[in-house]
Amino acid sequence: MGTTASQLGKADLSEYQELTFLTKQEILLAHKRFTELLPKEEKNSTNARVPMTKILTLPELKSNPFKERICLVFSTTNPNDGSFSFDDFLDFLSAFSDSATLEIKSHYAFRIFDFDNDGTLSCGDLEKLVDCLTYESEDSRLTTEEMRQLITNILEESDIDKDGTVNLSEFQHVISRSPDFVSSFKIVL
Amino acid sequence: DSNQVCLCRETTKTCWIAALEDQDCPPLNYINVCLIVLQVQQMQVPASSNAASWKHNKTKSLRKLKNNFWEFLYYFTLWGRSLQKIGGNFGGGVQSYFLFLRFLVVLNFVSFLLIAGFVIIPSFVLGSAESGFVNRPCMTYDPNPNTLVAFYEYFLHLLSGTGFMEDSFMFYGYYNNNTGTEDGSRAYNIPLAYIFTAIFYFAFCLCCIIARSVAVATGGSTVGNYSMIVFTGWDFGCLGNQATKLKQKNIYYRLQVDLEEERIKKQAASLTPWRKVALYSLRILMFVVALGLIGAAFFGIFKATDFSQVRDGQPGFLGLLIEFLPSIVITTGNFLVPLLCDQIALIEKYSPSITVVMALLRAVVLRLVSLGILLFTLCSQITCSGNAEASACQQCRYDHEKYPCWETRVGQEMYKLMLFDLLVNIALLVCLCFLVCVRIVVDNWSCKLSQLVGRQEFVVPSNVLGLVYGQTVVWAGALFCPLLPLMNTIKFVILFYCKKITLFHNCRPALKTFRSTTSTFFFLVVLLFGWTLALVVMIYSLAVINPSMACGPFRFFPSMWKIVPNSFYCLSKVTQDFLFFIGSQAFSIPLFALSCVIMCYFVALASIYGKSVEMLKAQLKLEGQDKQFLVKQIERLKLQHLMPALRAEVQD
Repeated sequence: MGTTASQLGKADLSEYQELTFLTKQEILLAHKRFTELLPKEEKNSTNARVPMTKILTLPELKSNPFKERICLVFSTTNPNDGSFSFDDFLDFLSAFSDSATLEIKSHYAFRIFDFDNDGTLSCGDLEKLVDCLTYESEDSRLTTEEMRQLITNILEESDIDKDGTVNLSEFQHVISRSPDFVSSFKIVL
Repeated sequence: DSNQVCLCRETTKTCWIAALEDQDCPPLNYINVCLIVLQVQQMQVPASSNAASWKHNKTKSLRKLKNNFWEFLYYFTLWGRSLQKIGGNFGGGVQSYFLFLRFLVVLNFVSFLLIAGFVIIPSFVLGSAESGFVNRPCMTYDPNPNTLVAFYEYFLHLLSGTGFMEDSFMFYGYYNNNTGTEDGSRAYNIPLAYIFTAIFYFAFCLCCIIARSVAVATGGSTVGNYSMIVFTGWDFGCLGNQATKLKQKNIYYRLQVDLEEERIKKQAASLTPWRKVALYSLRILMFVVALGLIGAAFFGIFKATDFSQVRDGQPGFLGLLIEFLPSIVITTGNFLVPLLCDQIALIEKYSPSITVVMALLRAVVLRLVSLGILLFTLCSQITCSGNAEASACQQCRYDHEKYPCWETRVGQEMYKLMLFDLLVNIALLVCLCFLVCVRIVVDNWSCKLSQLVGRQEFVVPSNVLGLVYGQTVVWAGALFCPLLPLMNTIKFVILFYCKKITLFHNCRPALKTFRSTTSTFFFLVVLLFGWTLALVVMIYSLAVINPSMACGPFRFFPSMWKIVPNSFYCLSKVTQDFLFFIGSQAFSIPLFALSCVIMCYFVALASIYGKSVEMLKAQLKLEGQDKQFLVKQIERLKLQHLMPALRAEVQD
């Protein structure tokens, strides 16, 4: 695949629609926004990639505390530098769309929260996660004591096999009990 | 071809998950995997089913429609954005107060629509049957003797509900008693409508309160609380710096509340026995002190009400002051005693949620019983303390000289209470604005003084009590003053904006917030106390006291309730027999038995679900242990394979 011609062909459009959870309008809008991010000389080349710094200027991602993690998770470069091709960009929008299933969303949420990419959520991951969720100024930061207490409580509640980390199935078990995870894990352009 | 893709999606998911977990596989995105699976599947003969894809598309569009509808509805929720802003800046505890206020506004407005539809509009349309001044004992009543009044008297009438206000749809005395049976042209029985609307209004409020308390009690679950907040708390749709910061603060408050409560519980559990005994005896002492304070307040209110009733009827401003004396004493008591109770609570050292509940229960006892004393005093004045042989009550069985139309009088008392409450709140707001201005001026001169007139915390329990008190007054007075719910709606709307301004300009966020689900549930429990008090008042007025003979829809009945049996015998024989059957034991006992059976069924179902959840959890634990065991076995076997090779090496 990998087309970034300035006009998206009709066949490509319908094929993208079948392969992702997005509608035709959403794909067209995504294509428009993606080409805006490209530098001028690459606008007509295929397989162009947008560097991470430009992706982070999108208004939907600009103030999101998880923006760097999102770029690293959805990018398919090896070694990972967080840049997006058009396919990666559609992948990102598809996972965060209205119609994506709970399983896909929980899978991606797990990967976004896994800061050290080791496949489980350890204490370090959980601490960074809580920091992202709460830290906005010095006076609304949890103390070390409170953080330790919080992480112990989280592990006690969700670590069922008592191995000190939260793996994917335990994570999905917690997610499945929340009624509005699907509607809060949503980004629309 | 969409049919193929539907079947392809399930396979794609499994392949993609497998590809992710395979460390040797290069990073693939979902689209690539989809393509590969599709190409593989195209080599096989596809089993196309149009029905499956059509159903899939239909469910997708239905879901989208439902989401859009809920988003649209949310946009129109009353004060939705303000409440979100309050919750983000001040935490869930303060937000629960405003949510409660919104619930009361909606309840009052809907009940006003009910009353207007069944009582006020028919009265207005059908007009008054007879009017005119009848000069007979018990029937002399002239609500508006001077139609030409000085301007300041007009204002006094507005504040106390007399004069032009008494002779209007506001009070009971204006409604007349045409039952519509005399001439066949009008078929609306106003007295019957009045009494049924009053009863239905009470029942409707009870249903709303119970429905909401059930929704609140089951809404929040404490199981898995922390992990839920941390894993599912973030809203990825937040746009902009402001919204993100608000959301972060919100999550911080929610986490902090629970952590704080846990810390206090741990502290309480770690006390030595001696300290525990000291703490408990201190708590008992403070309980007695609080009780003493409340008793003293009661005594003061009783004396004030007596004084006001005895010296009634004086003209001018002094008369107005004496009229308002009970309300003034009640409001002062309700202001001072919770302040003192707050100081007591500091010594008691309960956890934040329990402190709020204790403060609420203490203050509710004070407020509602003080209102009850006022009503009781009024009642004993009207019926000459229940003594039908006393000189004033002998002729009409109520004190017709002081209260020619006693229902209107009671309605006026309730109206005055409601109005005074609103005026006090507005006066507080004005004082506050003044203080803020002073602080801005003083800030430029010295910092110490501004610290003295510093920012307060928004105290939720006393504010909630104000709401419950106001609502109880409205319930108690609704039978006598049908327009009271409408005025209460307007009052609560004004109160919302007053409190919001106070909150944002003069309050800092509380250092310790409390859990909002337990507190919201208790707000509704306390509201039920108020409802019960008002119900007692209503039952007493309906069934025991004689209605006044000079005014109102129940003019010539021995008690208000009597109209129902009278109208009952006007119904057809078949309907009478049917209603008798429903009220008899032959129907109600089987109904009771059936509802018991249904309840037992649901209880059994709930316990079975709970048991199966526990069993599945235990199974998951065992699976984890099995995995660890197998991993250990693999390690051991690996080692066993290596050992001979190592030994061979060493021998060499």
